[in-house]
Amino acid sequence: MDDDPAPMSAEESLNLIAQQHRRMRRELGGGPARMLAAWALAWLLGWGLTYLSVTDVVAIPGWVAGVVVAVFFVLAMAYTTYSSIRIGRGIRGPSRTVGAMYGYGWALGSIGLMVIDIRITNFNALSSDQVSLLWSGTWLLLTGVMYLAGGMVWQDKLMYGLGGWMIVSSAASVLVGFPANFLVLALCGGGGFLLASIVYFLRERGGKPAR
Amino acid sequence: MSEDALPQLDPVIHAQARLRVTVALAGLRADDQITFPRLQQLLDMTPGNLSTHLRKLEDAEYVEIEKAYEHRTPVTLVRLTTRGRAAFETYTKALHQLLDATGG
Repeated sequence: MDDDPAPMSAEESLNLIAQQHRRMRRELGGGPARMLAAWALAWLLGWGLTYLSVTDVVAIPGWVAGVVVAVFFVLAMAYTTYSSIRIGRGIRGPSRTVGAMYGYGWALGSIGLMVIDIRITNFNALSSDQVSLLWSGTWLLLTGVMYLAGGMVWQDKLMYGLGGWMIVSSAASVLVGFPANFLVLALCGGGGFLLASIVYFLRERGGKPAR
Repeated sequence: MSEDALPQLDPVIHAQARLRVTVALAGLRADDQITFPRLQQLLDMTPGNLSTHLRKLEDAEYVEIEKAYEHRTPVTLVRLTTRGRAAFETYTKALHQLLDATGG
């Protein structure tokens, strides 16, 4: 193949740069906006429905709400995993290592949390209302700590802020008690994801360079 | 502004194909590498065309090409060097200066 014969003007050159930049942003992902939107949906709808069912606003059995939450969480997790793998295709080096460590961090943390909470639940020492607080509090705490960690490794203040917010929500969910803890999960947790997602979307449109 | 005050554009980067390769590589985080096929996909270039231009960038030490093995499969990994990144920054700065000088 030969070199490009026609020399480019400065303007053509800048246009070409902008064009390839856009392509890179589209392919490598401008940020976590879409993933956070998926989690916002899962938390708002899943926990929102749970709250409505435990307060008897809607007449559905508790297990249905539980299944809905599980389905939403599996879908959001599948979407997050799929898009992270898609974006990271063919990329090697520090980004990939950090991304993998973060992903495994979530898995390890979740398993640890479940072992602890299931064990405590099985002692049957707590009332079902108290068990509910245990789960919502620890789950929000883990989520908060993971976003704090994400903010640190990617030097992303917004993500760090989201982590801080989740930890505040974690404490709030325990303090407000059952069944309002589900409202905290839906509105503070899901709402936090939604707000962060919107900010990332706006930033992407503002044309910040791809990472 | 007089003619010779205008900045020169780096001929290694100032060619359509190589400029796009450089932009793509500069879009990765420093020290990250990209496999040849993914780079090809991001640029919509044929393997032969991409290799030719990568070689020219490598000759200028703007790009580092590493042949490695992953699970016994050979992979070609490409990365922009610090020098390449700096050259791209100088190049875009020069473009803006040229546009300013011509009133564009």
